[in-house]
Amino acid sequence: MTETPSVLVIGGGSTGCGIVRDLAMRGMDATLVEKGNLTHGTTGRMHGLLHSGGRYAVSDQASAKECIEENRVLREIASHCVEMTGGLFVQRPEDSDDYFQQKLDGCRECGIPAEVLSAEEAREMEPYLAKDIKRAIRVPDGAVDPFRLCVANAASAEQHGARIETHAEVVDVLVEDGEVVGVEVKHDSGPGTRTHKQPGTTEKIYADYVVNATGAWAGQLGEMAGVDVEVRPSKGVMTIMNTRQVDTVVNRCRPKGDADIIVPHETTCILGTTDEEVEDPEDYPEEGWEVDLMIDTLSELVPMLKDARTIRSFWGVRPLYEPPGTGTEDPTDITREFFLLDHDERDDLPGMTSIVGGKLTTYRMMAEQISDHVCEKLGVDAECRTADVPLPGSEDFTVLRDYMDEFGLRSPIGRRSAQRLGSRTDEVLKTDGPNPVVCECEAVTRAEIRDAIEGSGSDLNAVRIRTRASMGNCQGAFCCQRMANELAPEYDEAVAREAYHELYQERWKGERHALWGRQLSQAMLKYALHATTMNQDGDPAETGADVDFGAFDSGTDVAGDESGTTAVADGGSKSDERDASTGGTRADK
Amino acid sequence: MSDAENVNDNLNEFEPVQVFPESEDMDLRPGADNCYKCTTCDTACPVAEVDDKFPGPKFQGPEQWRLKRKEDEGVDDSIMSCSNCMRCDDACPSSVPLSQMHNTARGEYVEEQMDKLSREYIRNRILANYNTLAMLGSKVPRLTNFVMGNSLVQKVNAKVLGITGEREFPEFAEQTFREWWEERGGPQVRSEEKRVAYFHGCYSNYNTPEVGKAMVRVFEQFGYEVVVPKQRCSGTPMFANGMLDDAKRAAGINVENFTGLIPEGYDIIASCTSCSMSLRQEYPELFDIDGIEDLSTHTYEALEYLRIHEDLHGAIEDAEVSEQAFAYHAPCHARNQGLDRQAVELFRDLDGVTIQDVGDSCSGISGTYGWKEEKYDTSMAIGEEMFDHMHHAEGNVGMTECPTCSMQMNHGTGYEIRHPLQLLEEALV
Repeated sequence: MTETPSVLVIGGGSTGCGIVRDLAMRGMDATLVEKGNLTHGTTGRMHGLLHSGGRYAVSDQASAKECIEENRVLREIASHCVEMTGGLFVQRPEDSDDYFQQKLDGCRECGIPAEVLSAEEAREMEPYLAKDIKRAIRVPDGAVDPFRLCVANAASAEQHGARIETHAEVVDVLVEDGEVVGVEVKHDSGPGTRTHKQPGTTEKIYADYVVNATGAWAGQLGEMAGVDVEVRPSKGVMTIMNTRQVDTVVNRCRPKGDADIIVPHETTCILGTTDEEVEDPEDYPEEGWEVDLMIDTLSELVPMLKDARTIRSFWGVRPLYEPPGTGTEDPTDITREFFLLDHDERDDLPGMTSIVGGKLTTYRMMAEQISDHVCEKLGVDAECRTADVPLPGSEDFTVLRDYMDEFGLRSPIGRRSAQRLGSRTDEVLKTDGPNPVVCECEAVTRAEIRDAIEGSGSDLNAVRIRTRASMGNCQGAFCCQRMANELAPEYDEAVAREAYHELYQERWKGERHALWGRQLSQAMLKYALHATTMNQDGDPAETGADVDFGAFDSGTDVAGDESGTTAVADGGSKSDERDASTGGTRADK
Repeated sequence: MSDAENVNDNLNEFEPVQVFPESEDMDLRPGADNCYKCTTCDTACPVAEVDDKFPGPKFQGPEQWRLKRKEDEGVDDSIMSCSNCMRCDDACPSSVPLSQMHNTARGEYVEEQMDKLSREYIRNRILANYNTLAMLGSKVPRLTNFVMGNSLVQKVNAKVLGITGEREFPEFAEQTFREWWEERGGPQVRSEEKRVAYFHGCYSNYNTPEVGKAMVRVFEQFGYEVVVPKQRCSGTPMFANGMLDDAKRAAGINVENFTGLIPEGYDIIASCTSCSMSLRQEYPELFDIDGIEDLSTHTYEALEYLRIHEDLHGAIEDAEVSEQAFAYHAPCHARNQGLDRQAVELFRDLDGVTIQDVGDSCSGISGTYGWKEEKYDTSMAIGEEMFDHMHHAEGNVGMTECPTCSMQMNHGTGYEIRHPLQLLEEALV
């Protein structure tokens, strides 16, 4: 083969991003297509646990060993995405001693450093643990930001010449002469970074090899190619707390069960989760009792959760897979291992392999294996380097400098920015102009927002996952519009408006599951601010209704004119002229 | 049994001795749950109003705490620009523990980030420990007053210590309140039912004993047995300067000396609204000392206590004083205790008295804050509104419960400033 072999990867989750980086670093012409934003599927809907392997140490030791191995790798290559919080498996008095011992033995058998702590020691570490806990096992669990991780992988891939297309949904898998030769995608707004309102296009992308890394969507993708991929999507709920009640990952030490983990994630804690099989990975019920279950059950470990504020809940679907004929009834019993399905061997359809199962912690290992497989198929001899070369942002960054002084930022803001940006801090925060804070809850400055816009176009949800802006306790009440404002002057008003709406709606999607108590107050304030100060509940510019510009008065010249022809101050018509059909009410009339 | 197993078995009985020292620190992150960012606190903050560089109580409190990770150090230095007026507490519609967050953050900042040899630290330590300074100074009051009034000394204070030379140092009384108390032989009234323990604080002991005397005479007039236990500074200036260790020591002594009296039927009365604020709110919020909650629930401001337990209003309506007019300023700490209207409501019905509330602005001095050279201008800018309203009020005498507000009122207008207890004494005793 004289030309550089080309590979197309479908799916912009952790696996797909990991694969495209790996392939690009091996010198291949790699392209990634993703129907939404990066992390759109399962990756963006997980609890952010960097497994030590402890969770699988009893039930699935093969997975546990992979986890601890990759845990160590990610600490090095993705240091700016990882917070090594440590983890605890906490035993309550009603939990089995046998299982505790099995867990401890299992960890040791898998090479996972594990240490038994007395209740007092565990409570010294995490003072909000329940007073009646029995003891705990300490393991090297951590927290990982899946958004940052994917974005960094994709950025690295691009640096190595890869093409990344988000908002490019595969509408057909191209099969010629019984072989997969590429896909047809529908670009939401043309190729390249996204711009709202730009008309969509379709494109046929041909490649020497196609990798289906669509996780829970692998079955749907397989269907387009005419093959069966038996993924069994299983949903799980995750509830986000407003603050960190714990700074260590807290697991319940008992056999599988719902609501058994609390992961400190950035400024929040994430409670998880459930495991329930669903038909369609995009259409399943999100129910209130699932959220209640998280809070009620996990309050047994950390009682203060009962009265703590949640800011939103979200659901994810695991891309579980088991080989045909295994017939496991309960989804919690399905293995967390991953599988390569070579459709040539399996279905006599050369040119494509699907990768299913697995978990975020082992994304790199999965990517390495499938990249090896692709290389073998294409006769390429190239070494995997992803375990050694740090991701952009995680390069040597041993000295945290005094960012407040250097960039004129207040210390918690400088510190949080540096924690997010890692070795890119200098490059992003050094700016000539003023650098105000755009998102106060998460301490995100204008410079970081602008850097994200550069990377992702007018898509404010993409800006959100890159920066965490709008992910704090006000859920965008104070910053959605400021973020949209940063799109100017590059993008015009109509684009900024649509981007703003998309972000605003996305925020409501999760916040609606937290509408009681203090988050309800927050939501009402958000609604009032956006409705009353930005007219979001009935702006003619939004609704498409004609604005009667003639009804505005013409300025100070007519002040004192008592002919009764001038309009009221907000530009609407006077109440006595108001036709009921125009809608709206005025409290002052 | 292998060594490893041995270790595990022993661990079950092992009682850790402070393995993780930081777990002693106060974690106020959950307090951020109450904040829905309405920003009312920022609009109520007198410092933010005049100083654009100050990020305001919402940032200092819930935002900064929420952004903390456990191991993070690095409280923003702007916390030192908070004057601890605590108006944000009063403004918050959602019970965010703002001043507790500020006090704790300030303590952490001073403890971990401030250079202990810096001029700022030394100056703040001196100001925060005014009681020590005053104790020494009042041993030779005339000499101290002479020396402190010397313009050369003021220049030295400004240059060397960073204490503003713009203000005149408060004069020490020639006889302290406690000396007077000893001399008169302690309580003149004995009662089994009506008993109060007086927390005079530093200022009415060393500088304005007439306020303390008025308190004693008024309470005795109503038949109360007044006792005056040994006491230290309430801690207010120490909180405001982040000297939490000093404050804790003082609080320990105060709690010990006062709580023992509670079972004997004594309530604790302060004549300074910052002292009562400290005992009531800051003590239990910041310290875990035996009996501190008990002290908190039994502490009252003097006028407040009489209005609750006596027909003070009736007594005032029957009384009469010579014609006089007051420009009354409610201290921020009085406002936080819901006491901002009590003097006006009471004295407007006293024959001979015209009293006018000069509005709800902060006086700007906030204890030691306005004494700092770099804060002086901010302090005076905040006070501007109050000075203006005082000038517009009838007469040229001011009234307030707070000693440092009274310094500021006097400094900004030249008015003589009196304490409500003094007028009460004049009317009733």
